[in-house]
Amino acid sequence: MAAIFWLMILVPVVWSVITDPAPGFGRSKAASRNLACEQLNEDAVRRRYPGTLEEVSSRGDFVDIRTMACGARIMAYDERPVRDGLLLTALQERAADIAQKVIAQPDAAGRTWLVEAFYPDPKVATKLAFAVKAALVERQQKVSDRVPTLAAGDVLVLGATPPVRAYPLACARYQAEGSLAADDTLLMITLTDPRDVTLSVGRCTAGEWQWI
Amino acid sequence: MDLACVLALVLLQQADVPQGAHDAHLAQLEALRADVASQLQLTAFDLLDTLVYDWTQSPIFGAPTPVVLASVTPPAGLGTGLQALLENHLASLLVHNPRSNITLAHCPACTEVVVHSAKQGTVIARGVDTPEALAKVGALTPGLHALFADFEAEGAAVVLRVRVTRVTAALPVVYARTLSSSVGTPALLRDEQSLKSAGAARQEYLDALNQHEARLTWVNRFAVRSFAQGESQGIALAPYIWLETGFETAFTESRAWLGNLAVGFSWAPSLHTAFSLSARADRLISGRARSLTNPDLYLFFAGTLISTTGLDVAAFKSTTAPTVADLLAGALGVTNPELSTSFSAWKIGLELRVKNRIHTAVFLEALPSLNDLTTLGQFTRLGPIKFQTLGAEVGFCF
Repeated sequence: MAAIFWLMILVPVVWSVITDPAPGFGRSKAASRNLACEQLNEDAVRRRYPGTLEEVSSRGDFVDIRTMACGARIMAYDERPVRDGLLLTALQERAADIAQKVIAQPDAAGRTWLVEAFYPDPKVATKLAFAVKAALVERQQKVSDRVPTLAAGDVLVLGATPPVRAYPLACARYQAEGSLAADDTLLMITLTDPRDVTLSVGRCTAGEWQWI
Repeated sequence: MDLACVLALVLLQQADVPQGAHDAHLAQLEALRADVASQLQLTAFDLLDTLVYDWTQSPIFGAPTPVVLASVTPPAGLGTGLQALLENHLASLLVHNPRSNITLAHCPACTEVVVHSAKQGTVIARGVDTPEALAKVGALTPGLHALFADFEAEGAAVVLRVRVTRVTAALPVVYARTLSSSVGTPALLRDEQSLKSAGAARQEYLDALNQHEARLTWVNRFAVRSFAQGESQGIALAPYIWLETGFETAFTESRAWLGNLAVGFSWAPSLHTAFSLSARADRLISGRARSLTNPDLYLFFAGTLISTTGLDVAAFKSTTAPTVADLLAGALGVTNPELSTSFSAWKIGLELRVKNRIHTAVFLEALPSLNDLTTLGQFTRLGPIKFQTLGAEVGFCF
């Protein structure tokens, strides 16, 4: 009987440790990192995952239960280049953050936004620009798919110029060549430090460059 | 004592189980669909279904408008096979749902890279990005729009971003939307030819589930009862083979409690003819509701009234097991023992059931009115209760 008593005590404890998404007994740090979890309150759990939460006994419960919905990351951390993975995993948050900062500009009303992203991997750059454009349109901003162009000579010169000077220079050249209309603002999203995932956003309006 | 402890544990575990049948079924449904739909492309399909369904309810354009499918990009790191699947699904959705007011336009020059030279310089770009070039090759139809879709795996969720651009010199983006799947939420697997809202699709699953849950089923069982040999020396009773038929009903939507009533018949040439009437209650112990995907385990209790006639009856009436001589005498009519008896039996067993169609069970049976007979032994005992019968059965429900 004593063995059964201890079994009844230990089984729930061991079970809760095994099912805990945190690293520990039975789950490595790598496995935990590849889970995407969100904490939910009881109402949300009952609405989104009906039947998974047991009813509380009419005599009350003696333990506090945390409810957390976890799913395996579709792309594990080591399946993509680390920097790309970090950026893309939080793409929606980053795009929304950039859009909010852009809209907060004092002269944002009535402008047409052109979005360019500069990132080592062109596929990731395209996704980044796409996300920011969508975020701006969803916030009732005017966005154009037009891509301002530079002459081949400009591109050669800009390629040999340090980034700090290249962006203001490119902005001036866009204005000089008439690539940007009067109400156009070109947003350039760049990765300033290749060792980091911090994105910088600059804007080019009427030939004037400004970091946001 | 050990058996008692195990049973007590099983009952303790089941004591707090809620009877929220609807919720339990829903949870099973979720688990089943999660298995099927956990694949990335189905989640992506689900997002496209939602997008096009919303377009049919509130179209972007007031009238049918030519739209070229400019690009569909899969999550970074995944191949072009997925891209083709997604492209085909989106095209199929748009073709089958004309209420979206989007008419797919065939425009190879729009998605190809074109070279356009003008006085400002030479531009190399896709056709949709250079409307001037499209106009020159005659591919720019009035009102043409370009549809871009981009999928990305963000943590455990799939995010779909869509934008529609009017193909004019200014290339204005006229529509953009972001849709995301929830963490761990399975796809709804909607039919592309009759798109439904997420709520309607979910209700359709539940209706389909409930349609197959008949409350009353016809049960047929083949059972074998073997009796433990007693201390008396003699010939042991041959097992009784039974054919039972009856009706079963589920007391709850989750089929956690079942009850059935059956009559049985057993016959062995020259040995016995027997009839039974049994009532039985089954309790699901392998979950909170009948599983849609796995076999279910039930614990059952039954009470049976058995009436039997024939030579075998001697073993149920006498404290001395029949010998070969007794049997021969009975067969030849030399002796005329009382050839019939009735007794009650109480049964406990475990039943494994597949999809409410086929089941198999093993059971122990106590014959309390025959406890004192030395012709019957016992297989095991639970306190004062002797189990003299061990049996197995196979059943079919209709």
